[in-house]
Amino acid sequence: MGTASGIIRALNSGVKHLAVKRFTLRYPEEKLKFVGDGYQFDPTVGVGIAGLKGRHMLFHDHCTGCQLCSIACEGVAEAIAMVKVPEGWKHNKKSIMPQIDYGKCVFCGLCVDACPFYALYMTNDYELSSFTKEGLIYTPAQLQVKPDVRQDSEIVIDERGATHG
Amino acid sequence: MDGTVGAASASAAAPPSPAGAGAPAGRLPPGLSVERTDERIMTLNVGPQHPGSGHMRLVIQVDGDYIVNCDPDPGYVHRGEEKMAEYRNYVLNIPHLERPVIHDSCNVLYPYCLGAEDILGVEVPERAKYVRVIASELNKCIYIQYWLAIYGIFLGHSTMFMWPAGDRELLIDLMEKLTGARVTHAYFVPGGVRNDLPANFEDACLRQVGYFEKRIKEYADIFYDNPILVSRTAGTGVLSRMDAVRFGTTGSVLRASGVDFDLRKREPYDAYGEMDFSTPVLKDGDSYARSRVPWLDMMESCRIVRDALAKMPKSGSVRTKLKPNPKGKLPHEEVYRRVESGRGSLGCHIVSEKKPEPYRVKMSVPSFRNLICMPNLLRGEKLGNMPAVYWSLNYWPVEADR
Ligand code: SF4
Ligand code: SF4
Repeated sequence: MGTASGIIRALNSGVKHLAVKRFTLRYPEEKLKFVGDGYQFDPTVGVGIAGLKGRHMLFHDHCTGCQLCSIACEGVAEAIAMVKVPEGWKHNKKSIMPQIDYGKCVFCGLCVDACPFYALYMTNDYELSSFTKEGLIYTPAQLQVKPDVRQDSEIVIDERGATHG
Repeated sequence: MDGTVGAASASAAAPPSPAGAGAPAGRLPPGLSVERTDERIMTLNVGPQHPGSGHMRLVIQVDGDYIVNCDPDPGYVHRGEEKMAEYRNYVLNIPHLERPVIHDSCNVLYPYCLGAEDILGVEVPERAKYVRVIASELNKCIYIQYWLAIYGIFLGHSTMFMWPAGDRELLIDLMEKLTGARVTHAYFVPGGVRNDLPANFEDACLRQVGYFEKRIKEYADIFYDNPILVSRTAGTGVLSRMDAVRFGTTGSVLRASGVDFDLRKREPYDAYGEMDFSTPVLKDGDSYARSRVPWLDMMESCRIVRDALAKMPKSGSVRTKLKPNPKGKLPHEEVYRRVESGRGSLGCHIVSEKKPEPYRVKMSVPSFRNLICMPNLLRGEKLGNMPAVYWSLNYWPVEADR
C-alpha cells in the first residue's frame, strides 16, 4: 500500500510539473543577459569590476607594449603573443601589442588584472567558434573591434515557475 | 608469469638459508600472491570507457550475479596539478588549481588561497570573507546538483537527471553574474576575491536561491520518497560508523554513517563562524543515506547564503593588494589548511621557500579518501547495485587523480 501510494505521489509530482513553465533557453534565438560590459580591472584599487569574462578588447591608444599581459599569461595558457603593429604610437615605442589565441585562452582574466594602463578589457562576446585554427587567433586589429552583442534574456521567476523571459 | 619472475628475484636477493633451498613448494615469499582462477569467477572491466564509471576502471570479479571482489583503478586523468604548481607563482596557480573539480571550482581553490594567505601574510578584508562564503556555498550546490543528476541517470531515473541539471542553471546564472564565468570561475585569490558583487546581486540572489530551495524540496516526492529509489538504495553498501572512521572517509559519506563532522563547524574558516546552520547527519550508512545527505546539505547551503547576505558588511574592500614583488621576502614555512567542499574535507599543504613559487603544493582530496572503502562496500552486493553504491560515494574521478 505504501509502495503504491508512493509511486502515485511520484507520478503526480511529475505530472504537476507539466504546468510549470519551460525553463529551457532557446539559445541562438535568445541569449542570456549579463551584468555590465564584461570583466574589467581597476589597477589603482586592485579590484575587478564584475562582468562576463569573454573575448578581450584592446584599446590601442592605451597600450604601451609593456608585455605584462603576456608575462601573466605565460603561467596560465601562453595564449598571448606580442606582435608588431605598423602604427607608430608615441606611447608605444616598440610598436608591439598583444595578439590572443583563443584556442589556448582559458578566460581567466589574469591578463586584464596585469594590465596597468586599462588597455585590456573583457567583453560579453563568447561566440568565438571558427572553422580553422588560424581563425581563433585574434590580431590587435581584431581585438580593437567592440563586439556587437544582443543579449536580452533574463531569468524571471513567478508563481508558475522560472523561465527565461 | 609475473609471479615466477618476482619469486625468483626475491629468492636470489634473500640470504641463502641452510634449512632447505628456499620456501617449500606452494608457499611464496611474503608480499607475493598468485591469482587463483576459478571457473565460477568471472572478471569484468567496468570502464574506463564505460559511461557510468567516470574516468576510471573498476575491475570487478563476479560469481554469478554477486560481486566477490572489486578493485578500483583510478589514475586515467592524472594531470600533474601538484607539479605544475611548483612552476607558477601564487597568483598564477589559480586557474589550473581549480581544474580538478570544475563544478566545484571555488571550493577546490579555497584551501590553497587560505594557505597562500598565511604564507604571504595578507589579511582578507571582512567583506571578502562573506563574499567567499556565498560563492563557495553556491558552488557547492552547483556541484551537488550535478552529482545528483548523474545519480539519477545511474539509477535509470531520467527525470532526476533533467530536473537538477535544469535547476542548477539558477545558481550558475548567479555565479556567472558574480564571477564572470559559468564553470571555472578563477574567483578566489590570495588576499580576497577578484571583484565585488555586481549591482542588484543581493536581490537576484535571494530570488533565485529562494526558488531553488523550493524546487529542491520537490525532489522529495519524485526521488527521495519514491519507493523504487528506496528499494534500490536502502540497505545496499552499508558502511558502519566504525568503518567510516577507520577508512578515513569524509564529507557526506562520513555523515551518512552517523558521524557529525563538518569542518565549517569544527574549524570555522573565514566567516563560517558567524553563520547559523546545522549539519545533517543520518545513521544508516547505506546508499540511500549517502544520497540523501548532500540533498539536505543543499538546503543548509541556501540558509548560509541568505545568512551571509544579511550579515555581510554593506561596503568595503574585497581584495588586499599583494605586494608587487615578494621575491626573497617569503618565509620558509609550511601550512596546511582544509575546508569542507561538496565532497568532504579538502586540504592543501603548501611548502614555501624563499621564492615566488611554492616549493610544494599537495592537495589532499576527499574523493580519494572516499574511494578507499569502495571494495569493502561492494563485496557481496549484486552487480546491479554497483552504480548505486559507486556514485553514492560522492566520488569525482578527476579530483582523485588531480
Ligand atoms: S584570459 Fe587568461 S588565458 Fe586568456 S589570454 Fe588572459 S591570461 Fe591568458
Ligand atoms: S595590453 Fe596592457 S599589459 Fe598588455 S602590453 Fe598593452 S599595456 Fe601592457
